[in-house]
Amino acid sequence: MMQPLLSVKGVSRYFGGLRAVDGVSFDVFPGEILGILGPNGAGKTVLFNLISGIYEPTSGEIWFRSERIDSILPHLIAQKGIGRTFQIVKPFASLTVLQNVLVARGITRYSHLSKVWGPWGSKGEIRKAMEVLEKVGLSDLAERKAGLLPLGNLRRLEIARALVVGHTILLLDESFSGLRHDEISRLEDLIRSIRKDGLTVILIEHNMRVSMGLCDRIIVLDHGQKIAEGPPLEIQQDKRVIEAYLGGKGIAYAS
Amino acid sequence: MSSYAVTIATIIVIQAIAVCGLNVIVGYAGQISLGHAAFFGIGAYSAAVLTTKLGLSFWTALPLVIGISALIGLLLGLPSLRVREDFLAITTIGINFIVEAVFRYVPFFGGALGIGGIPRIMFFDIRLKGIPFLLLCVGFLILVLLICWWLTRSWASLACYAIRDEEAAASTMGISPVRFKLLAFVIGTAMAGLGGSLYAHYMQFISAGDFSFPVSVGFLSMLVLGGMGTLWGPVVGTLILGILPELFRPLVDYRIFFYTLLLLLMIRFQPGGLLGEESFARKIIKPLMRGFKK
Repeated sequence: MMQPLLSVKGVSRYFGGLRAVDGVSFDVFPGEILGILGPNGAGKTVLFNLISGIYEPTSGEIWFRSERIDSILPHLIAQKGIGRTFQIVKPFASLTVLQNVLVARGITRYSHLSKVWGPWGSKGEIRKAMEVLEKVGLSDLAERKAGLLPLGNLRRLEIARALVVGHTILLLDESFSGLRHDEISRLEDLIRSIRKDGLTVILIEHNMRVSMGLCDRIIVLDHGQKIAEGPPLEIQQDKRVIEAYLGGKGIAYAS
Repeated sequence: MSSYAVTIATIIVIQAIAVCGLNVIVGYAGQISLGHAAFFGIGAYSAAVLTTKLGLSFWTALPLVIGISALIGLLLGLPSLRVREDFLAITTIGINFIVEAVFRYVPFFGGALGIGGIPRIMFFDIRLKGIPFLLLCVGFLILVLLICWWLTRSWASLACYAIRDEEAAASTMGISPVRFKLLAFVIGTAMAGLGGSLYAHYMQFISAGDFSFPVSVGFLSMLVLGGMGTLWGPVVGTLILGILPELFRPLVDYRIFFYTLLLLLMIRFQPGGLLGEESFARKIIKPLMRGFKK
């Protein structure tokens, strides 16, 4: 059997009495697109924060390849090539769009103090950052201050930065929300094309059409627990999933 | 130049060196510090002790002075930078009071009497005072500005900017917030130490009161007025707040009142400072510069 790239093993995170994530386990295999679904407050974003090291699990383990990563700091997890976007966008507002991407490009330097004294504005660096901006369609706005961009563009900027960092796993937290129709299909194409490059993608998505069309496998969370796992078609017909989304009464309408 | 003007100019240049250091901490890395005078004082006192008690010259003592200031900056920054914003402001105020108290009450540092008899700086065979000393200070200021200019183009400062704008996002881009905050803090305190050393050799007599909390407030006011994170902001802010009190001598008792008022007005109406983006001063200067280029 194929070795999982990322293994989440019985992970829980409590905030006081609230079990935001409650004993969740799953594996992610190289090259797949895994969707995480669930109603609001199901614990999806908390799960991302646990994987990317922003929170430490209350219990359970997270493994990346043959390494345990559940208690190491976010910058060290990023340095393993795990990139992420934030649902509530976090641009470096006073920097230009280009500089935002350059910050991410510096990832190979930040761990060695001897490598951080050179200039960030070299021609080669700028060219490579521009290539990434072209991928997400932001190259025209490269010199704009990130803080002045509308939400749709900021989501693309989040993806651009995550693409630079995430050369093994990409975590996309509702990157489609707030996008127009044409932007959605462009982003779908982008995700398919980066998967072809060998990347593994985990995405949180509310848009059913998008997640059903894009994902190889889907995990459904509700109240912090995993209630279903499987290919999109199976998930669509899962009783517990329909119940979680529509409530008990919804099943009557659905059937 | 009258000796009065030279005195004012020298003090302004020395303070500008310290404010440039504060700019690295507050402007580049976004970590508020209300205790910068403590590190100015640490530089001054280490210069005083090394030259009066160990008989070192200014030049041999200087690397040690900068090293000591940076090291103490590192040691005090390690616990302080774990807290953020308001808490960091209060912690740095605390550092200022503690350092001042150490100078005031530890007999080794001269206690309440301070340390006197600090020698003038020798440049080959010349004893520097007046305009030559001012020129030496200007030389150091230019050096500090060059370092700042070079910093703003480096990956290190890009990491600092990222932490300043969005710490969580910066950490998911491989940036260790602790490491780069400390780096900024150490560079900033080293510059304060350099300024402090020049101050000690200029005044030839220092006491704890020279490095009290109001001095830190003054430094921060200069930085906010000039423009946090800009290259020339520290110099412009120090120049204005250094000259104004001399022009309005009768108001000297109300200095803190005006500093505070100015700080509030700047933060309300010109948060970027005089040289910040979108500032009224820049709007006036820009068209002039364009005309000048033609």
